[in-house]
Amino acid sequence: MVTVDTTPLKEWFESLPKNKDFEKLQRFNKVLFTDPEPQVGQTPKEIIWTKNKAKLYRYQPNKVKTNKVPILMIYALINKPYILDLYPGNSFIEYLTDRGHDVYLLDWGTAGFEDRHMKLEDYIVDYIPRAVKKVLKHSGAKEITMFGYCMGGTMTAIFTALYQKKLPIRNVVLLTSPIDFEDAGLYTNWLDKRYFKLDNIVETFGNVPFEFIDFGNKLLNPLSNTVGVYVNVASNIENEEKILNWKLMQKWLNDGVPFPGEAYRQWIRNFYQENKLINDELEVRGERVLLSNITANLLNIVATRDNIVLPQQIEPLNDKVSSKNKTLHVVNAGHVSVITGKRAVAENYPFIEQWITENSK
Amino acid sequence: MTQSTFDVFSLWKEIYNKTESAWHDAIQETLEKKSFAESLGQIQSQYVQFQELVNKMTESYLKQTNIPSRDEIANVASLIIDVDSKIDQLEDEIDEKEERLVKEMDALKKSVSSLEKKLDKVIELLNKSIESIADSNATVAATANKTVSK
Repeated sequence: MVTVDTTPLKEWFESLPKNKDFEKLQRFNKVLFTDPEPQVGQTPKEIIWTKNKAKLYRYQPNKVKTNKVPILMIYALINKPYILDLYPGNSFIEYLTDRGHDVYLLDWGTAGFEDRHMKLEDYIVDYIPRAVKKVLKHSGAKEITMFGYCMGGTMTAIFTALYQKKLPIRNVVLLTSPIDFEDAGLYTNWLDKRYFKLDNIVETFGNVPFEFIDFGNKLLNPLSNTVGVYVNVASNIENEEKILNWKLMQKWLNDGVPFPGEAYRQWIRNFYQENKLINDELEVRGERVLLSNITANLLNIVATRDNIVLPQQIEPLNDKVSSKNKTLHVVNAGHVSVITGKRAVAENYPFIEQWITENSK
Repeated sequence: MTQSTFDVFSLWKEIYNKTESAWHDAIQETLEKKSFAESLGQIQSQYVQFQELVNKMTESYLKQTNIPSRDEIANVASLIIDVDSKIDQLEDEIDEKEERLVKEMDALKKSVSSLEKKLDKVIELLNKSIESIADSNATVAATANKTVSK
């Protein structure tokens, strides 16, 4: 067995002059390589239903629920939903449950190779309605508030359009959810049918790897998303709170899940390439999705600095729905900072919470 | 006495900020070009072709060495998922039946209670009729007694 004595290296490192700059360098090294990852998703929860990889969670079951209408959160098929429960004091779910809301989250889990044939309609028709029924039964409530974030919001809008008359959907809250794909920014070019070999990608990979999708997202702003990330941590190395937030974000950003192949094919083709939803051309298991069927109270949130879902992709929904009570709320934030970070906690959380409370009486 | 050294981080940040502001527009302009999307598509195609080759080679190696492939393991997982779906359907049916049963029970309770009310009324009416019959019998008997004594 070969053993390497690292003592001289350690001694040399220890003998280096100790000053502030050196300490900063040491800290930087620790933050990047040796510090443990922060613990995410700490709000207490129980599982009330499972199906395949999906789990339906109920948060803080022992807290008193003063709000009559439960909230069901639907997240995207990309990344993990703990962004909604990132860290104590920086968790939207914790904020809501602390104020008496009965919060449920449908976590899609991590798709395996056996799930490569799962389509969007499988999730929208086989999972979401069942989850809604489970929430209603478990809570004993007569109505429900649906909350969708990003692609989860698009799925929520489709589900509501299909089930508005069948299930008691009282409120719909959508957070940076794309509806109109006419101008999806750089993606419109990159996903152009002429260049983007969608079928080859799906057939080769089965499920589309997270790294593949992440590459596209990082390419939207390459310098900032690669070098800028580390410059950011270096320049805030003495600020513990900022470093914690940086670690949390990095953990979440690099902790993605593969996109089920068939669902990815539909997502790119029917939405990015053919823009079917806003034009009333999308069909789910033979039924046409008409956004005008939505009559629930609607809160649609746009983040102006979002480069993943552009404001013009979100806003048209309000003109399509038949809801009498509809609000388009514009915030100065990015795709993720709309729901995490100091500003989100101070401004966006109270706004959404108040809207839900007022519309649940 | 602390020794003053060269601050790498400040220099790094300065270089980054200057580079970022100088290159940002040029990079964005490039990213927006059709030719960039075309090149990206070509790189993607090559990468996918390479991946396909790797997949095929791996599959044939696994076959030769008698090791189950990803497809075969996924097939087993699919069978488990199918069982899971069947249990889910059964649960749905039980839930539906339970709901129906609760509704029927409620309806039954309502009709029983309305029957009870009706019965109460009938009994009340019967009692009243019995009382009135008894009263009239008493009156008849009293009149008969009077007639007899006369």
